[in-house]
Amino acid sequence: MIKITGLHKTFNAGTANEVYSLRGVDLDIAEGEFVTVIGTNGSGKSTLLNAVAGTFLPDSGRVEIAGVDVTRQRDFQRAKLISRVFQNPFAGTAPDMTIAENLHLAYLRGKPKYPKTELKASRLDKYREEIGQLEMQLEDRLDNVIGTLSGGQRQALTLLMAVINPPQVLLLDEHTAALDPKSAAQVIRLTKKFIERGRLTSLMVTHSMSQALELGTRTIMMNKGRIIDDISKAEKQRLTTNDLLDKFAELRKTERLTDEMLEELRRDYI
Amino acid sequence: MELWIGALNLGFLYAFMTMGVFITFRIHDFPDITVDGSFVLGAAVTGVLLVQGVNPVTSLLVAFLAGAASGMITAVIHNRLNVNGLLAGIIVMTGLYSINLHIMGRSNIPLINQVTVMSYIDRVNPGLTPEVWMCLTLGGVIILFGLIMAWFFRTNLGLAMRMTGNNPIMAAATGVNVDRMKVLGVALANGLTGLSGGLVAQYQGFADIGMGIGTVVIGLAAVIIGESVLRMRSIYAKVFSAILGSLIFRLMIAVALAVGMDPTDLKLLTAAFVLLTLAASKTAAGKQAIKTALARFWPKLAWNWRKISAAVCLVLVLTVAGWGYKRYHGSPAAGPNKLYKIGVVQLVDNPLLNMTRDGLLGELKKMGYESGKNCIMLEENAHGDMTTVNNILDKFKQQQVDIIVPISTSCTQAAINKFKDRPVVFAGVASPFIIGAGQSDTDHLPNVTGVYGGAPAQKMMDIVHRFKPGKIQVGSIWDPSQANSVFNVDQLQEIVKNDKGVTFIGTTVTNSSEVSQAATSLVHKGLDAFTLVPDNIVYSAFESVLKAARSKNIPIFINDVERLADGAFCAIGYDYFSVGVQGAHLVDRIIKGEKPKDIPFELNKKLTFGFNLDTAKELGFTIPPDLLAQANRLVGQGAEAVKQASHPTASASTRTTTPPSGQAASALPSAPVTPAADKPAGKRLVVFIFSETPPIMDTRKGVLEELTSSGVLKKYNISVEHKSAQAEFYLAQSIATDIIRLNYDYIITLSTPALQIMAQANKRIPQIFGGVTDPYRMGIAKSADDHLPNITGVATMHPVSATIKAIREILPQAKTIGTVWNPAEATAEACTYAARDAVKQYGFQLIETNISHVNDIPDALNALVGKKIDALFTSGDNSINLAVDFVGKVMKQHKIPYFTTIPSDAGQGASLLSIGADYVEVGRETARQAILVITGRDPKNVPIKNYVPKKMVVNEALAKEYGIALPESILKAAAEVKK
Repeated sequence: MIKITGLHKTFNAGTANEVYSLRGVDLDIAEGEFVTVIGTNGSGKSTLLNAVAGTFLPDSGRVEIAGVDVTRQRDFQRAKLISRVFQNPFAGTAPDMTIAENLHLAYLRGKPKYPKTELKASRLDKYREEIGQLEMQLEDRLDNVIGTLSGGQRQALTLLMAVINPPQVLLLDEHTAALDPKSAAQVIRLTKKFIERGRLTSLMVTHSMSQALELGTRTIMMNKGRIIDDISKAEKQRLTTNDLLDKFAELRKTERLTDEMLEELRRDYI
Repeated sequence: MELWIGALNLGFLYAFMTMGVFITFRIHDFPDITVDGSFVLGAAVTGVLLVQGVNPVTSLLVAFLAGAASGMITAVIHNRLNVNGLLAGIIVMTGLYSINLHIMGRSNIPLINQVTVMSYIDRVNPGLTPEVWMCLTLGGVIILFGLIMAWFFRTNLGLAMRMTGNNPIMAAATGVNVDRMKVLGVALANGLTGLSGGLVAQYQGFADIGMGIGTVVIGLAAVIIGESVLRMRSIYAKVFSAILGSLIFRLMIAVALAVGMDPTDLKLLTAAFVLLTLAASKTAAGKQAIKTALARFWPKLAWNWRKISAAVCLVLVLTVAGWGYKRYHGSPAAGPNKLYKIGVVQLVDNPLLNMTRDGLLGELKKMGYESGKNCIMLEENAHGDMTTVNNILDKFKQQQVDIIVPISTSCTQAAINKFKDRPVVFAGVASPFIIGAGQSDTDHLPNVTGVYGGAPAQKMMDIVHRFKPGKIQVGSIWDPSQANSVFNVDQLQEIVKNDKGVTFIGTTVTNSSEVSQAATSLVHKGLDAFTLVPDNIVYSAFESVLKAARSKNIPIFINDVERLADGAFCAIGYDYFSVGVQGAHLVDRIIKGEKPKDIPFELNKKLTFGFNLDTAKELGFTIPPDLLAQANRLVGQGAEAVKQASHPTASASTRTTTPPSGQAASALPSAPVTPAADKPAGKRLVVFIFSETPPIMDTRKGVLEELTSSGVLKKYNISVEHKSAQAEFYLAQSIATDIIRLNYDYIITLSTPALQIMAQANKRIPQIFGGVTDPYRMGIAKSADDHLPNITGVATMHPVSATIKAIREILPQAKTIGTVWNPAEATAEACTYAARDAVKQYGFQLIETNISHVNDIPDALNALVGKKIDALFTSGDNSINLAVDFVGKVMKQHKIPYFTTIPSDAGQGASLLSIGADYVEVGRETARQAILVITGRDPKNVPIKNYVPKKMVVNEALAKEYGIALPESILKAAAEVKK
């Protein structure tokens, strides 16, 4: 479903802020696979996701989705195939528009927007039904603007919006990182439910070792713009979080990470 | 009621524009200034199409498309070139100004005789007062428009557009092309603005280049006001809040007018209101206060605003309709013996229009009309805002004014468009025919008459020919957005076209800061005479034209006699005051029962014609006796004599070989003193002075005397020219460049700044300086022998020490001496340093005060007086030199003896005693240095001469007044004693 070959990207080339983010990434994800991505800060996890989403054009390499070469397509062109949930709960919704309007636009993802009114009673009933799955008592608030919702509610809604019109590829970028533990657990539960139900090909960046191991069919580990480990489902079932940390410890030896950095990783992932 | 209805109508028409601003500002989150231009663009397009006979509805459609195109350009600049939205708007708006002028072909298109949308609406009037019918129709249209907009914002496309502004990242993630959506939104916004401009043009009866100024501010204010009134998040509420804001804004202006507030303060009021609204909705306390207030006064609105607003609308419509029906079918109130109401409206406060108004009111009073007794006079001024003119006219309608007197063209346009049922008597209009008031003097709109007349172009050109015979170039400067100016320039060009000997060159300006450049550019094209037509901008920056003209001795011919005193050479124009007087007589005839239809338009009758005799002298013109006899306004020295004798005694002499002495000359001709045209081998010498202060003028006098008496001028066939920078540094710079360009053979610079500025530019031409205190300080020379190779001259230190010594002799008891000087002046600094040394020697204490400008002098003097100084001493400071008489006067008031180092100061009575260089002698010495160079010495080998010919002048009269006995030694040493 997703095929990435030899992807390179340098940001701010030629300036003092030059960052070499992707240094030759090759990745092949089959249809229906749910891949979790882990790695240290700045290892290129989010950049990889954005490369798939098309928010920038790569310096070299190729991105294929569902057999189509999308390397030169802009993000709004790829929206036909991809839906996304961002880390920031505010980024995924339009705050001054109502829940129904947001859901409707999500439903229209990748379709042309004509000047015609579709947001009618029958359509609203459908959305009411969909939003019921969130179990957040939002069914009667379809006419409320998003700005009145909590962060957790917004993120759950964004997730619903991402799957309301099932995409070929779902991209989740640390979408629970900014939530309180209770909301985060709820959103993770919903994520699992939606992905399994729709058998969606998904790519999820996470900072939680346990999430990485529990969720998905495959885990990749990134460091310094490269994929350094690819763990299959069978392997995942044997591993514990400590094993993962040991892998980071190995990294420490080869990459000469300082003890503080290791400590930071421990804090982040346990 | 008319006032309110009129305000509502304008509010409706502006609502389209407000909606446009709402889209950019609230949906797309950037304030788009393009609307200032696209509003006019819409009006311009509509105007041109209507004149071509295009259907008014079609013209509005084209206005919409044109506006949309301009918005598209802004959005594309913003997206593609990554230019900030505000900046992109400013760029497009600026460009549109020229484009709009091109589209219109002139600054103003009258639409009075065209079929407009408004006339369509009028045609289907079921019998209501026209304004009320208009208001109801427009109200209906606007409600429909609001519903369409609200519907649009709920369609898939509208939702996507809203999301683009609200969260662009999200919009892109759902597959919306954010850039393209922005183009669409901004285009829609400016399309609506163009439509609004087109409608306003049709409503007010003309399109004008100036009608768009401040559109964006009005739009923003309306949006913000509307939001504060309807605080709901529903898109219906938002759309209608923009419309409501537009209405409230216009009603606010109407209120301000109704309570008699000066429209000048309106903008300040708007700013304050918008600021308050913003502040209240930003702070938590403010929000709470608004909520409580709303809950108290309008409790159910929050959940049922649709029903309530519908009910309110219905009630309003019924009231208005009922009132309108009753009024239109009721009996008119006019009886035979009622008080006539006369409404005078002018566009701006400007001296000329004011004269016309004063003439009108004065003459009416003379004829026995007195406001409050037998008539009612209403005077209004729109302070430059065209929309306010409409409000004022509505107010007149409301007050049932019987006769409208609009002063100036644009007021007249608005008035004849608004009033068909009562007399309009205009004044101060260049041509009533171009604005559609009539076809000829007798065939005109039935309710309109008035006084008109452009500038007398033919007469002006006749006079120009008297002074500048042969082939000449004349030039004008005007603002293409002023209808009157354009008309008068066209007239002038028409006349020049038929005149083989004259070519016309012109430059247009858009604001007063451009006038200087425009004038200079004309001067550089080799202009022979300025022929200026009436133009507010050029008149307000007349000084700039004057400066440019003086630099090349170009005479200024103008229409406004008031400019004679400012230095124009000749003025010929219609008398603005008498225009008002003529208008008053027309008003009188109408009150006495004549119909405006039967009163032909009158041309301005009285001409004013005059000269400035001083300027004539400067230019070297002799004014022929016949012209002098015709003139009814003369300005300058000798004007009285001419008037009394009524024959030309004081007409200026032609070019002289010796310039007048110091005080008399204000600007010498820069033309050759000795005509040298026939002698090809002749050389040219220029005397460049910085300012015309007495010492410098004396120095120049000495230079010229010595040069002439020595015979070198004749012997070497040298012509002498003069340049003066009039104490302006920038002028000095240009003169210096010009001197280099004209490649003179010798340069004499008098005064320190002239030396400095000239030396900077001149690396080659022999230059001799004089009237300079200290050339060693400013890099001209290290010592008398070691100086710049092409520059030499005479250094004259002020005799500071000698003067301080004299103070000691005259005032043996004195302890403190005060002084004032400008640290920015090299000479003043040198003199102050010398004074510091000298006071020590003679046992004084020196109290110094610094100034940076002439304006600081009064405060500096007061400070010194407060410190109880025994004497005041100033030396070498140019600022003080310019104000020496004032300083003398202040010192006289406080009986403080004043000493300077310029002998003429004591001669004039400013100072008690002055010891200074005899500047005529300095001049002679300078000339001697020059002669050395002329006779073949290399300036490099001519050492700088330190030369101080001391000259003491005492004012004994002043000493007596102070009770000071002057010692015998002083009186003996003095070269001059003023008794």
